[in-house]
Amino acid sequence: MRHGFLASLGLLAVVTMAAVPAVAQTAAKAAATPGTAAASTPPKTPWGDPDLQGIWPGNMGVPMQRPKDLGDRTALTDEEYAKRVAQAQRAAANDNEERAPKDARIGIGPPSYWTERGKPTRQASLIIDPPDGRLPALTPEAQKRRKEARGGLGDPAEWAGRADSFEDLNLYYRCITRGVTGSIIPVVYNNGNQILQAPGYVVIRNEMIHEARVIPLDGRPHVSANIHEYMGDSRGHWEGNTLVIETTNYTDKTSIGSNGVGYNGEGGRHSQALRTVERLTRVDDNTISYEATVDDPQTWTKPWTMRIELKRDSKYQFLEYACHEGNYAMKDILSGARADEAAKASK
Amino acid sequence: MRKTMKGFLYTAAAFAVLNLAGLPIAAQNQTYRAPRAADGHPDLNGIWQAFTTANFDLQDHSQQAGTMWELGSIGAVPPGQGVVEGGEIPYTPAALAKRQQNFTKRRTDDPEAKCYLPGVPRANYMPYPFQIVQSPQGILFVYEFASANRFVNMGKAQEAGSDTWMGTNNGHWEGETLVVDVTGLNGLAWLDRSGDFMTDNAHVVERFTRVDPYHINYEATIEDSKTFTKPWKISMPLYRRVEKNAQLLDFKCVEFSEELLYGQFKKK
Repeated sequence: MRHGFLASLGLLAVVTMAAVPAVAQTAAKAAATPGTAAASTPPKTPWGDPDLQGIWPGNMGVPMQRPKDLGDRTALTDEEYAKRVAQAQRAAANDNEERAPKDARIGIGPPSYWTERGKPTRQASLIIDPPDGRLPALTPEAQKRRKEARGGLGDPAEWAGRADSFEDLNLYYRCITRGVTGSIIPVVYNNGNQILQAPGYVVIRNEMIHEARVIPLDGRPHVSANIHEYMGDSRGHWEGNTLVIETTNYTDKTSIGSNGVGYNGEGGRHSQALRTVERLTRVDDNTISYEATVDDPQTWTKPWTMRIELKRDSKYQFLEYACHEGNYAMKDILSGARADEAAKASK
Repeated sequence: MRKTMKGFLYTAAAFAVLNLAGLPIAAQNQTYRAPRAADGHPDLNGIWQAFTTANFDLQDHSQQAGTMWELGSIGAVPPGQGVVEGGEIPYTPAALAKRQQNFTKRRTDDPEAKCYLPGVPRANYMPYPFQIVQSPQGILFVYEFASANRFVNMGKAQEAGSDTWMGTNNGHWEGETLVVDVTGLNGLAWLDRSGDFMTDNAHVVERFTRVDPYHINYEATIEDSKTFTKPWKISMPLYRRVEKNAQLLDFKCVEFSEELLYGQFKKK
């Protein structure tokens, strides 16, 4: 029964490959790779939904944009991958140094026991569409917006050293949110993503900052266009074994990229017109393929898609991330800037 | 012990039948059997909210002026009957003095004003809805206030690691009732806007019992020998938000607390 159903699904996939979204293709590709159990029927919840529950941290090491010389190539060669792994190992070794080497620039990195970089994959870039793995061009409107932000200093993602007010720091430093995609993109620590399900709902809980996005699956309409939310307004449905989450009603304050900041060369600030479509497919027992299509015609000239591989970690300890409660950095950055000014003024 | 409990329940049920009209809703329907969730236990899934003045003051209180006259009557404290069993919180004399000090400094010191995680039990009776997600892997409480959430482990009880705002939550079922044992609280959260508090020594046991399709009876027993002369209990109904479009929205209040917390460090 199961096999028969799956076989027809497979056939369907082959026939309609061109029309199906990228995630289904990814699953089909993975299925064709020996040793992976993709397209095997994922477990079901007692009420019959595909079961995505568990803790699924991501692994660092895949850049958002693909290096230009890789062109349309989506995976690294053995040699390139060995280099990436070595780089990750060096980073991990640095994390483990109790003291920074004498010649190193002193940073503000966390203590080693915080870090959880994970193991990088062969994926050439998080962006899988456009095929060159690069962000599409900004619209002229978005270019102007970014240039003029904060009187020419740019969005707070690019800090530019000014700390007149807490508003000069980005939403991540302010412990407000990392946004939808920023909460999934793997970073250096607290990558815990917990998925829980109840009839009619899926919850994606993010450890860092502490978010719990409750996603209704009952087909209800979005909230009014007058309501804007940092994490947007999400509605989910199942397409086969894939959870599809469509999110609208965003603010124009978050950004696409690590920690919702969009550091160097990442997506950066979007507009309220943003609509994201996330697709979560459990391609094997321990892997969820997470894809997010970013569609914001007021910011990018065409939609683009990133893919992140999330790996199940049943031993992961999900901790309380009381970010704002312990945000000593905010006070220190602001009072430090005032002290600097006072010192300059007294010269 | 269990038999005694049962005997007590039967008596209570008989009592409920006799006195139905005169009893608060929480005491009614002791024999109500809630629909079952996928785990076979009473289904607590839904969006719930308390409607009491407990977040202003757990104890009986008359109307009073707020801390900022600029807000006019919007900032005033509505009157309310307390939710503390026996009426008063059994503070030690030293703790009572601390509570009075908190009260005086409530405008700036209440962690709610700073948008800090609200702690347990306060998270349940703030004027914001919360959603219970009863999953096969455990029960998640998602609060609208400050995007706070806490995961109740329904498996083998786990010892608290480091102290946290929302505590280490271990749950189990006693018939119709979800019992959540909360330890590892950091003692930094307040219990209301009046400065009621407990320390990191506190142990909270909560009981959630559905009493009909639209209400949960909520109880929390608070034990903290550093602060109270004996354990004490609060109870109140939680109401189901029945609007068809009910859902949690953003109340990420950090940005409303920044001027209070960091305003003094801004460039003048």
